[in-house]
Amino acid sequence: MPYAFHTNARRCTGCKACVMACKDQHDLGPDIAFRQVYEYGGGTWERREDGTVASDAFAYYVSVACNHCANPACSQVCPTGAMHKDERDLMCVDVQRCIGCGYCALSCPYRAPKVDRDAGHSVKCDGCTERVAAGMKPVCVEACPRRALDFGPADEIVERYGIESNLLPLPDATATSPRLALTLPTCVEADPQRVARDGAVLNLREIV
Amino acid sequence: MDGFSIAFNEITLVLFTTLAPAGAVGYLLMSLPVLLGRVNEDDRRRLDQYSCLPLAIAMVGLIASATHLGNPSNALYVFTGVGRSPLSTEVFCAVVFLALAGMYWLYAFAETPRRWLQRILVAAVDVAIVLFVVSMAFAYQVDTIITWSLPLTPVALILNSLVGGPIITLLGFAAAGYRGHGPGQGRLLVAVAAVALVANTGVYLVIGAQLSGMANELVSASSLVPGFIPCVVVFALLAAAGLAVAWRSVGRDLTVRSLVAASLLVLAGIFVMRFTFYMSHLTVGLGV
Repeated sequence: MPYAFHTNARRCTGCKACVMACKDQHDLGPDIAFRQVYEYGGGTWERREDGTVASDAFAYYVSVACNHCANPACSQVCPTGAMHKDERDLMCVDVQRCIGCGYCALSCPYRAPKVDRDAGHSVKCDGCTERVAAGMKPVCVEACPRRALDFGPADEIVERYGIESNLLPLPDATATSPRLALTLPTCVEADPQRVARDGAVLNLREIV
Repeated sequence: MDGFSIAFNEITLVLFTTLAPAGAVGYLLMSLPVLLGRVNEDDRRRLDQYSCLPLAIAMVGLIASATHLGNPSNALYVFTGVGRSPLSTEVFCAVVFLALAGMYWLYAFAETPRRWLQRILVAAVDVAIVLFVVSMAFAYQVDTIITWSLPLTPVALILNSLVGGPIITLLGFAAAGYRGHGPGQGRLLVAVAAVALVANTGVYLVIGAQLSGMANELVSASSLVPGFIPCVVVFALLAAAGLAVAWRSVGRDLTVRSLVAASLLVLAGIFVMRFTFYMSHLTVGLGV
């Protein structure tokens, strides 16, 4: 049974509690994060004829980890089969097979797998598969103070949140068919062309 | 997120993709006189024994590639992905090439080697080399890596091997003291490399033009490889200098020293472009 994440980009404030909870759960150092929060925004200040100043700035946050894709690039290129779907259809690394070649990290368009050079193998979000097996949600979902994240069986997530999985700066969903449902921010719903034209990732230095 | 750091982290793969294709094609071309039966017994014996030279160049590349692995002790699992993962297919082809070439080299030391068996073995090695170089050229053809899945990317690597291979063959001939059919044979090899160099430079200019328009939401390819076109110029100049040294050596007497210099110049040029290849890594989405 495939699982899916939901990210509500209308609610997310970019606090990164999900990122830190994930790091805590998986004991990750400063150089590796399984979950990232992208700040995406644009716009400017304009002086009006009456002398007042108005802003047309927009910004939103997208929290993203591995999307346990239906058409994953990472496992397709993995030479050893270490990158595999487990019994819950969550993409995991078999450290007994991984050679740490890094091809998964090179090919994933979501930056999900990383090579832990000290451990000598790839590491990534496994959807907190053991927590899921115990009937809990992934730790990032439970840590979110705004309830902007959710996780569950893919059909239930789609039924609850819809099928939208395209939102900048994420890659087009046709690339890997991510199991991800998105609630779009209001600025995108209001004027998607403007967001695409003027938007940019604003927190590049925070991304690891 | 600068391209230099990305390529520097993969420096062993830069070395691998520089040395292995050139060494493999060098081996293939060096084996042709034996395969075609156009050598006397003495030349055949020396060519066989010195075939370890291009083989050693290819092996240095392969060993370099193994050093970038985090856990080589799991390497045997690579063979479970042959046909599915392009990397597995590449490694499999490399192992077949090395195993056959190693067997051939060892058999060359037999007191009375059987000619027919040697020719079958060397033909098998040459087929393995073609498969290895082609599999290597397609090893990084992954749709999600937009800068590496260009149609000309495999062509560039194959042409790299045709620029470097003939010069390494000449070095092998010089080391073996093989003069063959006079300077015409050597000139033909340099000419093949020269034609490949012209084509390779053209291919890189087209790739450079394609890279200039590529970007994802995080970074553009031109900011990852800001000096791509100057690098192409450096590649062309280094390789042309190597070919000129080789041509001069062919015209006089093949000397190991001048052909080592020619090989180093050509390989240095190829190394520059392989470095830019890893610098240009860019996925369709959030990866660099």
